[in-house]
Amino acid sequence: MFETLKEILVNKLKVAPEQVTPEATPQDIELDSLAIVELSLVLETELGVTVSDDELLELATVGDIVALIEERSARV
Amino acid sequence: MAGTDIAVTGLGLVTPAGTGTAASWQGVLAGRSPAAEDPLLAGNPVRISCRVPGWDADALLGARRAHRLDRFTQFALVAAREAVADAGLDPATWDGARVGVVLGCADGGPGTVEQQHRVLLEHSADRVSPLLLPMQLPNMLAGQTAIELGATGPNLVVATACASGTSAIGAARDLLLLDRCDIVVAGGSEAMITPLVMAGFARMGTLSRREDDPAGASRPFEVERDGFVAGEGAGVLVLERAADARARGARVRARVAGYGASADAHHITSPHPEGLGLEAAMRAALADAGAGPADVQHVNAHGTATRLNDLAEAKVVRRVLTGDPLVTSTKGVTGHLLGAGGAVEAAFTVLSLEQQLVPPTANLTVPDPACEIKVAATATATRVDLALSNSMGFGGQNAVLAIAAA
Repeated sequence: MFETLKEILVNKLKVAPEQVTPEATPQDIELDSLAIVELSLVLETELGVTVSDDELLELATVGDIVALIEERSARV
Repeated sequence: MAGTDIAVTGLGLVTPAGTGTAASWQGVLAGRSPAAEDPLLAGNPVRISCRVPGWDADALLGARRAHRLDRFTQFALVAAREAVADAGLDPATWDGARVGVVLGCADGGPGTVEQQHRVLLEHSADRVSPLLLPMQLPNMLAGQTAIELGATGPNLVVATACASGTSAIGAARDLLLLDRCDIVVAGGSEAMITPLVMAGFARMGTLSRREDDPAGASRPFEVERDGFVAGEGAGVLVLERAADARARGARVRARVAGYGASADAHHITSPHPEGLGLEAAMRAALADAGAGPADVQHVNAHGTATRLNDLAEAKVVRRVLTGDPLVTSTKGVTGHLLGAGGAVEAAFTVLSLEQQLVPPTANLTVPDPACEIKVAATATATRVDLALSNSMGFGGQNAVLAIAAA
């Protein structure tokens, strides 16, 4: 799932690939509140996973986002 | 007026003639229009446009930055960077609080609006991008440029339709004369070649229908002209008080010696048939420059190649300027850059003054005898000490810059 998220961040939000690591914070990869909303939208359209921007804003790292997506995907 | 002269110390251009000032100027001097059939306008009544060739925002601005910018802002940032570097200024070291940004556009980001409106109609409101507004709002032009340059002084966007770029330079001149700041990054940018906007222009009857000959479609002051060709791009000038520019040892490329503005208060789209509003703006610009009607050797005309504009403008130039100035319309090459047009043409006027060279009006096969002015059909070396750059916008807004040799 990390690779899938990385692909989305790089291809859809145009984050530089070398910046995307499991430890990276939203600040590290320049995800402001607008980009978080964008990410929430893309997760829905690309993966069919519903994660609100409010939920994403509470997560500390890319790894945490991966964990939440995995949890949500498992439930589907 | 020497003490209140405003110096042009930097130029940046992104035009259909090329990206960069050198490429744009060479393209305009060559006198060949890059207008072509536009695949994005496939379903439109008029399919000709003048695009910036080979535009690669990802390469110029970085993919992350470009992703969050509408095309009109992308053009402006690239032109602004060039202008600031050309002025020998460094945003890393300047006092940003004394740097203003005044840019003009007619429409903001209609490409982004149309794309997101499609998302709304085809999917749902929940799918609309959170970047819709920060990308398309007209004021983002100056806001994003301030972010790019760390310019925290006065910041605004001016909208006077096709006079916007000229109005912005005039407003920038006023800010400097009032000592609101020391440097202004001024100009205009536009990216309005979208299916909806172009359908609107076509329905107004303002576009050339010369579909079989795109490169010959923009024919300012020519007898067979039948409308404008839409262009896109940006022009940015760095302006400073001339005394300040000289004190820091900057190269003064030319001087914005005067500015005049007016409104026709006549019709929403047609210029006043006798060009009374334009005349008032030209006379005001001359007075502001402390110059007389015989002192102007060159006019970079608005010259859109619509029947009405060129005729009205020619009448005014003939009536107001008594020194038989050499007129050109660079729109023959670039097409009509709308809100960016006046800024791009101000930059070309600066280059004409520097090089004592008036660029050609492309496609001037048979000059319209009703336009009783001297129009340059070829690049012409001639003495130019003072030039006017004219702009007229839908809504009847007129703006004129008097630009003098350094």
